[in-house]
Amino acid sequence: MVPPSSAPATSTTPETDLRPDPGSFRDPANRVLHADGQILRGLGPRAAEDWQALVGTEFFPRLIAEGKICGTEALEPQAVPASQAGQWSTVLRHERIPFVSYPYEWSFAMLRDAALLHLEILRTAVPAGFTTKDGSAYNLQWRGVEPVFIDIGSFEPARDGEPWAGYRQFCQTMLYPLLLQAHLGLDFQPWLRSRIDGLEAGQLRKLFDGTRRFRAGVLKHVHLHDAMQNRFAGASTGAVREQLKDAGFSRELVLATLRAIDKLVRRLDWQPPQSHWSDYRETCTYSDADREQKEEFVATALTEAGRPGLVLDLGANDGTYSRLAARHADYVVAVESDPAVVDQLYRRLSAEGERRILPLVMDLADPSPGGGWRGVERASFAARADADAVLALAVVHHLAIGRNVPLPEILDWLVGLMPTAGGDGRLVVEFVHPDDPMAVRLLANKPAGIFPDYHRDEFERLLAQRCTIVRRTELASGTRTLYVGTPRDRG
Amino acid sequence: MKDLAYLDAGSGSLIVQAVVGGVAGVAVAAKLYWRRLTSRFRKQPSEQD
Ligand SMILES: C[S@@+](CC[C@H](N)C(=O)[O-])C[C@H]1O[C@@H](n2cnc3c(N)ncnc32)[C@H](O)[C@@H]1O
Repeated sequence: MVPPSSAPATSTTPETDLRPDPGSFRDPANRVLHADGQILRGLGPRAAEDWQALVGTEFFPRLIAEGKICGTEALEPQAVPASQAGQWSTVLRHERIPFVSYPYEWSFAMLRDAALLHLEILRTAVPAGFTTKDGSAYNLQWRGVEPVFIDIGSFEPARDGEPWAGYRQFCQTMLYPLLLQAHLGLDFQPWLRSRIDGLEAGQLRKLFDGTRRFRAGVLKHVHLHDAMQNRFAGASTGAVREQLKDAGFSRELVLATLRAIDKLVRRLDWQPPQSHWSDYRETCTYSDADREQKEEFVATALTEAGRPGLVLDLGANDGTYSRLAARHADYVVAVESDPAVVDQLYRRLSAEGERRILPLVMDLADPSPGGGWRGVERASFAARADADAVLALAVVHHLAIGRNVPLPEILDWLVGLMPTAGGDGRLVVEFVHPDDPMAVRLLANKPAGIFPDYHRDEFERLLAQRCTIVRRTELASGTRTLYVGTPRDRG
Repeated sequence: MKDLAYLDAGSGSLIVQAVVGGVAGVAVAAKLYWRRLTSRFRKQPSEQD
């Protein structure tokens, strides 16, 4: 590779593994790179200039110190990976986010808090003469239940008299999903998952017809917005920017707009219908003896093989076992398919200030696929999961009976979530016997005899094919068995 | 135009922001609207929109 003349003198850090992040190509001025486990960001000449200005501000280091922006520092030229030398004017290194997640895996309150953080950052940056080029929900990630702004490349000096370029994206990926759930009670996750650029004003307008248009924020941000988009579809944004400036658009007006959006987002709330919880209580009942025994079993499984880095708690419900795991591991991802349950868990963890549990909305029978360009711009859940331990407690029957997934498939998938853990990996799994009241209830909705293989001996045989079973315990109630296994090397 | 952003901010989306910003913003939007209207009548539609 021939370094261009503007390249930093020399670079002496050879890397063994470097790949550009497949989700970071939209803004050609900068690019995220993965190098030997580090998260780097290459900046072109213009972006490097913006970076210089940014680190000189008062607000940027302060927001990093407050944990609101992801930790970032410029690499010394000699620390730049050899293959990247000469390609970028500056290379930054970012703090590693423990588990990357996407807005279609967040609950309502998570998306709202992420939106509020994005607005807060912008409202701090604007008075200092900065703006963000975009307004995407994908600019945010999580440390536990704490949102973090990660897209450092998005900051640029603001040009006077210009509105926020990211407003449309903010509407599409954050405000509209929130309106959908707050006003209509529709879960937004499937909409965001199926549309990488979010919801369109025109689509939402159809859902907010009649008197629904008078719900908070709808008239302006949806109806008027859509009408204006249609009316000015052929006008170049450059010309409109000039015209707005001439008509007196000002920085104060940008701030007034952001204040109004912030106020609106704070007003939006979602409470799941009451019926939801009353149905719910019954689905996870245990005797106290069972519960104690189970907690002890899980704690031992997690501690005996050294401290796990990442634990996945699948079917986490109220997060009892996520909390337990967080006492013995670095980070826990609590996956649960019910958005209302995740929302409540998030709010509780958030109130407690817990920073090592990330709750996510996901149906285990339909885990997040890859998305966006070539299906890799957003990584599938399986591609992101590199766990040291997997908890599948009282959930396998939901997949096996409730969703007809064959037991061998379920076990393959669970073990596959620990692709690099090897013999240190831990699969902690609970088998609910077919005569357990919960299994009976699920079986009642299926033709008799449809699952001849659903019994403990067969489960154990299948588990033993894939894992060395370290221990097993039958719960006192006699209808559930707990196992801990370490994945066999099947190379 | 100079310096276009990598993201298409959307012309309509830029203008709506003025309206969201309150009274002062509505005035800006009205002014822009009026100017675009009158300039169209003056110089025949060269920048067709
Ligand atoms: C019986 S509770 C178990 C809760 C906790 N793991 C425990 O052992 O106490 C089962 C949980 O799994 C969730 N669940 C059921 N099917 C699921 C699926 N396909 N994907 C994700 N979660 C699911 C339910 O919503 C419920 O919260």
